[in-house]
Amino acid sequence: MLINTVILFLRDALPILVLVVYLYVHLPASKLWLVWCFLAGALLSLIYINQIHVIGQWFDGKGIELSLWLSQLLVYMLTLVIAYELCRAHSSNKHILYWIAGLMVSLTLVSKGSNFIIYFEGYLNQNNAIQSILLGTFLGLGICLSLAILLYLAAHWLKQRLGPWATWLLVLFYVTGQLVSALPLLVQVDLIDASATAWNSQHIVSNEFEFGHLFNVLFGYQAAPSIAQVIVYILALLMPLAIFYWLKLNLASHSGNTQ
Amino acid sequence: MNKPVNKVVACAALSFGLFCHAVWADVTEYNVQLKDHLFFPSRITIPANQKVKLVIDNQDNTPEEFDSFSLNREKVIFANRKVSIFIGPLKPGEYDFFGEYNPNTARGKVIVVHQKQEAPDAN
Repeated sequence: MLINTVILFLRDALPILVLVVYLYVHLPASKLWLVWCFLAGALLSLIYINQIHVIGQWFDGKGIELSLWLSQLLVYMLTLVIAYELCRAHSSNKHILYWIAGLMVSLTLVSKGSNFIIYFEGYLNQNNAIQSILLGTFLGLGICLSLAILLYLAAHWLKQRLGPWATWLLVLFYVTGQLVSALPLLVQVDLIDASATAWNSQHIVSNEFEFGHLFNVLFGYQAAPSIAQVIVYILALLMPLAIFYWLKLNLASHSGNTQ
Repeated sequence: MNKPVNKVVACAALSFGLFCHAVWADVTEYNVQLKDHLFFPSRITIPANQKVKLVIDNQDNTPEEFDSFSLNREKVIFANRKVSIFIGPLKPGEYDFFGEYNPNTARGKVIVVHQKQEAPDAN
């Protein structure tokens, strides 16, 4: 039970912490949004778990997979809105960024945090489980927090050296990875047909081991991705980069002309 | 004048039919039980290059998460509930799966084999 709890933290708490760290570094000044979005995320997770049997019946039993995938898609779209706000360098309304970041963290808390509620609700009342679960929680949280602090320092250094686009790029890599990792949810309920594997690198870095977990969280590493996952990954990464590079150039030349 | 329209309608109907066939084509079901944090059967043999449906019946009073890195599948099964997961088409080989909440006991394998060709009719 101890090891299971540690693994659960690595798989589900680490993605939440990574997103929080990236956004924490990316957004300037006030950090109050973080407290509010943790509260909102916890509340939404409880509502989601409370209604999960109802949601599960939607769309002929595909409701859970669809809702989780849509929440990942929404997080990805919100990342693009953050980039748009970065392009508009003279944007007067900075509060919208805090709302967007708050929504992103809340949605991630619902999709990842709900696993904790299911696990703790199911196993905490078992005999002799509390001690191992608590110990596993401390160990898992310790590992995740250590990694989060290292990532914070790295992201902070990158932002100082290269500016806010560097931290946005980290967020884009993260959300693209999560979006692509969520694609098998649609395959497993037969909504899309995408089982053909592009390659298999299980013997180099397996998703079962620590590095596999870490790489999966940071940039969506899959040891045996499907061809559809590879295509979605490339498109989801390159299209916004091209669009925002063009938009930034366009806005810069436009503001140059007006001066 | 209506002929191009008719062709378009016919093509659309044909495409819709093919799409429906792909979506609702018969898929073989394989039943798996989860009891006392053990999968039964723990080895499931399925044919290669075919999509199949695993129906997992959790008979325990605790939830479990069906998880497989090689199959790329992950689904929570609530206590005393059934879930369906589609897998395949797969190449021949062995694909491990496990229960994320009890990975030491809840373990199994999907074994994918080439389907034997039917013997030609002697008559």
